Formats: sequence, structure tokens, C-alpha cells
Amino acid sequence: MDLLANLGHGFGVALTLNNLLFCLIGCVIGTAIGVLPGIGPVATISLLLPITFGQPATTAIIMLAGIYYGAQYGGSTTAILLNLPGEVSSVVTTLEGYKMARRGRAGAALSIAALGSFFAGSVATILVAASGPLLTQVALSFGPADYFSLMFLGLIISAVLAQGSVVKSIGMVVFGVSLGMVGTDVQTGQQRFTFGIPELSDGVGFVSIAMGMFGIAEIILNLERPEARSVMSGKVGSLMMTREEFRRSIPAVLRGTTVGSLLGILPGGGAALASFGSYMMERKVSKGRHEFGTGAIEGVAGPEAANNAASQTSFIPLLTLGIPANAVMALMVGALIIQGIQPGPRMVEAQPDLFWGLIASMWVGNLMLLVINLPMIGVWVKLLAVPYRHMYPSIMIFCAIGVYSLQNNVFDVYQTVVFGIFGYLCSKLRLEAAPMLIGFVLGPMMEEHLRRAMLLSRGDPMVFLERPISATMLAIAFIALVAMLLPNVRKGKDSALAEGG
Amino acid sequence: MKLNTKDLISAAILIGCAVIGLWLNTDHTMGTARRMGPGYMPFLGFAILLALGVIVLIIGLFNGPDPIARWTGPEIGFLLAGAAAGTAAGLVASKVGGWPSAGWNSLGLGMFVGCMVVAVVKSWRPLFLISAAFALFGLLLEPAGLMATIAICVILSAFADETHTPKGVAGLVLFLCVLCYAVFIYELDIRVPVWPQF
Repeated sequence: MDLLANLGHGFGVALTLNNLLFCLIGCVIGTAIGVLPGIGPVATISLLLPITFGQPATTAIIMLAGIYYGAQYGGSTTAILLNLPGEVSSVVTTLEGYKMARRGRAGAALSIAALGSFFAGSVATILVAASGPLLTQVALSFGPADYFSLMFLGLIISAVLAQGSVVKSIGMVVFGVSLGMVGTDVQTGQQRFTFGIPELSDGVGFVSIAMGMFGIAEIILNLERPEARSVMSGKVGSLMMTREEFRRSIPAVLRGTTVGSLLGILPGGGAALASFGSYMMERKVSKGRHEFGTGAIEGVAGPEAANNAASQTSFIPLLTLGIPANAVMALMVGALIIQGIQPGPRMVEAQPDLFWGLIASMWVGNLMLLVINLPMIGVWVKLLAVPYRHMYPSIMIFCAIGVYSLQNNVFDVYQTVVFGIFGYLCSKLRLEAAPMLIGFVLGPMMEEHLRRAMLLSRGDPMVFLERPISATMLAIAFIALVAMLLPNVRKGKDSALAEGG
Repeated sequence: MKLNTKDLISAAILIGCAVIGLWLNTDHTMGTARRMGPGYMPFLGFAILLALGVIVLIIGLFNGPDPIARWTGPEIGFLLAGAAAGTAAGLVASKVGGWPSAGWNSLGLGMFVGCMVVAVVKSWRPLFLISAAFALFGLLLEPAGLMATIAICVILSAFADETHTPKGVAGLVLFLCVLCYAVFIYELDIRVPVWPQF
């Protein structure tokens, strides 16, 4: 079996001492920020991007991935124990999980959250491994026009699924794409929009944008809100589930894994969408649906499995097509490009260590998280005793050192200040930052593919409609856009996202 | 008409960026669809941005009301004063020569002064004190070294939250200095001056 041999190779890479260590560091940091409200995976990954540059690309990506799926584990802990979602993706876990804790079944809820996540993580690992080479084969037959349309579709869907007004989100996507035009034009070498500033000839700093809009802006918004942290109610209780609880969880975990895996692959999808989708499904189809609202274990098992599955399958479009499905994946693209690796379908062949090593490390990481989370739950809850007034200066200093160390240039620091203020303004105006980041990453690639496609077609734009793959992508994008203009669909989405956080 | 203030301001930002972008883009050759010049894609991008901005504007005229928190007199006053003071400080710094004019120091000084002026108003403090501390980090790092910079920036940013105690801040400074030394200097060995350079 080719797959087994490749996975074996992957485990060989993932189990080297250095990679294991960084996988563990990623998982621990991920759990920590998952537990702590006020700092999410996007901010943390952008914060730690510069730190990973000294490491080989594989190690860096293994660690950053660990942070992302680790955060899904950690987020459930505080959601269940304190009714406090550490992450957006665990908002729905609070609905049933906290009710279970109030009934004294906190231990069972934590167990199923961890076990369900582990199961979903294992399935998702296999899914990524199996679909990777397959999709890569498909992707290699893509022409520039198909790529352009695929990216176009990704951008539209990421905007459509963002919270709030679709038009504003598309506006932010286009703004991001335009921001990506700053710098040297690849084909002619002409400087565009650089105002004669040499630092801008490589483009606006990706890390500066990410840290400013997600790190600094986040700190400021949290400081404006008064701190509200409830104390823990009751004890964790036994971690053991009753046989009845276990039996009821199995179908929920299976459904959650399926929903999560599918929604993770979708551009614009990701952990938050998946956990919400799974919760909606459990409320409709599970056997324990009449218990919802009083602490039904299905309402914990499903969403927790789903968000973990999604956080891993969202790597599929990135690893096979080079297209980021959400803001975290956009950061991964940034990390890869800074490491000198162009994400795309050739990555599986050109970087087998990275591809298979990452996949194997996901499984290893899930195993670690199981150990990190269940027996050590008390330690993580204690982390909440750290007040935000001690956290924000630390985040700020880490941001500042990180952004400076990129190129040893203070210009990057000042750039970050500008994006911090801009990010604050955007969140006040409900302009979404995530679509902008995705647009920024995809913009330069889209320009290149557009140019190539038009050169090949001798300037005939019909090429986008004549190629079947490209036409299909554009049709889906068009349908998604039209659907959002229908009042019913839009209302459904708004209420869904409002409830999902 | 129900005005949606948030949407109208968003539209203004989008349209503003688009117009400035289109104007700057007149410097670049457009080329043809077959052989695109450097100006083709930016033109496309900013044109779409302009159109979207106009759509947001039109929608914003009717889907309100969604007011933003009203700014008080001092808030507006100090914001304008900060912008003026920052610009002035930056311009002066770029002219006087010596350290303030070297490298990007004039930009950093302008940002720092501007943000500090606005941070006088209490409700602006989280936003502008953090920004000021960040700009100060850029200014101080190379001459004063990492340790001193961490201490000064943490102390400055501490004023953004009133629940800080002097003892707590001192502990935090010590903790961050040790942590950053261990992570960035000892472990990652990044090229940053650690101690003040005289």
C-alpha cells in the first residue's frame, strides 16, 4: 500500500525528537490559549510565526498546526466548567456542556469532549492522508484559468460565510487583494504603491497585518470590555462516563466527525462553523433531542468532534491546492512562503517530509492532547486565575519582539501599529478582518494566474467560461452569492452565526 | 431614510481607498488584457472596490439605524490635537538631524507623540496607549536595548488598565525580562541589542 508506506514515512518524520518537541509545544500553547478567553488561535499563530523561522519548515508547520487543533481541545474545558467559551468554536459546547456540569456530570462531559475530539482527529488524519494525493492529481490538471476561478470561489465563500453584511465582507476581501498589490510587480519589476519606501518593495508585511489586526486590535477591544469571569461551580466529578452516556455519544461523535470533516474542507469553513453545524444537527436528529437544554451529552460529543475534525480537514485545500480555507490557513500560507515554499499541488511531491510529516504529527498531537487535557485538567483551570491585566502587556511585548525580529527593522513595528489601529476601527464598524487576510494572501497569486490565463487565451475572457472546471467554480460562486441575496437564506445564516457566536 | 452610520463610515473608507488607489494607479501602464501591464490588476481591484463601496453606501442609507457610540467634545478635540501634534512632531523630527532624523525614528516619534496626546482622554486610553507603547518599543529597542525597552513599554501600557498595582507591574516586568531573555536571546538567539548602548 502506497498510503501506508507514505504514512510510515510521515511518522518517521513526526517522531524525530525535535518535531515531537515542537508538536508538544504547539499542543500545550494551543490548549493554553484555548482555555484563556481573549486570545485565539489566529492571534497566537501570528504571534509565534517569527519564532518558528529559525526552525525547518516542517517543524514550524507542525507546531503551528498543533496550536490550531490544540485550541479546540482547550476551548471545551472552560466552556464546560465555567460556561466560558475560550474560543468561538466552543460557544455551542457551553449550551449543553455547562448544563451537564451543573448536574454534576462535568467529568463525563470533559471525557467525551476529549475522546470525541481524539476520534474525530484520527478520522480526519486518515482523510487528509487519503485525499491529499488524490486531490493533488486533480489539481495538477488545473490550468491558470481554473486556478483563478478556484481562488475566486474561495474568496467569495469566505466572504459569504463571514459574519455580518456580505457586501462589506466582499469589500474587505477586495481591499485585501488590493493591499496585496503593494510592492514590486513580479513581471515588470515596477514598484507599485510603495511611495518610494524601500521596505514596501517586498509588499506590506504579512506578519504586521496579522499581528496588528488580530493581536493588537484584540488586546485593545478586550481592555475596553470589563472583565467578567465567573468562578467554577461545583467539582469536576468522576471522569468516567456511564454506559448509557457512552452509548448515546457514539452516534453523535460519528455524525459530528462527518459534518466537521465536510465543513472543514469548505472554503471559509473551519472549526467554528463545524461545531455549530453539528450542534444544529444533533438538536434535530439525535435520540436525546428532548433533553437538549438540560445537559444532553450529544450536544457536547457532536460539536467537539466536529470542530476538531474541521480544524484538521481545513488543511486539505491548503496542502493540495495551496488555497487557504480560513484565516488560520492564510497564516500557514504566509509561514510557508516565508520559509521559501510555494503552497500548491506540487507540494506533496516536492515536500514529502512536510506533507506526510504534518499529517502524522496531527495524529501524534491528538494523542498528546488527550494526555495533556484529561488528567491535567485542574492545571488548565488554574490558568484562568491569571488576570488579563498581566496577559496583555505580555502579548504586546511578544508581538513587538516578534515583528522586529523578522527583518531587524523597526519599520515593521510601526506598520503593525497602523494595522492595530485599523483593525480596531474595522471591528467597531463590523468590517471583518479574516476575509481581508485571505484576500491579501490570495491576491498576488490571483494576479499571476489571471495574467497567465489571459496570455494563453490571447486576451479572451471567455476562457473562464469555456473550461469546464473553471466554469463550475464560477457557477458555484455565483449561486452562493445569489443565495445570500435571498432574504430567507440570509436570515437563516444571520441567526445561525449569531447563536454560534 | 434610516441611516446606518457604521455602514456609511465603512463605505467612506472603501470608496476613499478605491479612489486614492485608482489615482495612484494612473502612474502604471495598463497594458492590454492579453499582455497585462503592472497597472491592470490594481485597476480591476480598485474599480471593484469602488463599486462595492458605492453599494455599501446605498444600503447604508436605508438599513439603519445603527449608530456608533457618540464621541464627546474632548474625545474629538484630543483626537484632532493628537493628529496635528503627531504630524508636527514627525515633521520636526525629520528636520532636526541627529538621532530623531535617523532611519524611521521620525515616523516613530510622530506616532508616539500623536498617540500620547490622544491618550490623555480616558476613554481613548486602551487604543492609543497600547499603540503608543508599541511605537515606543520601536523607538527605544535599538538605542536602549531589549531589557530597558520591555520595562518602559510595560510600565507605559500598564496605565491602560486601572486595576494594575505598582507591585504587580514590577513583577510583570521582571517576569517578562527573564522570559524574553530565555526565549529570544538564549534559545532563539535573535539579533537584538540586549543592554543599552552608550
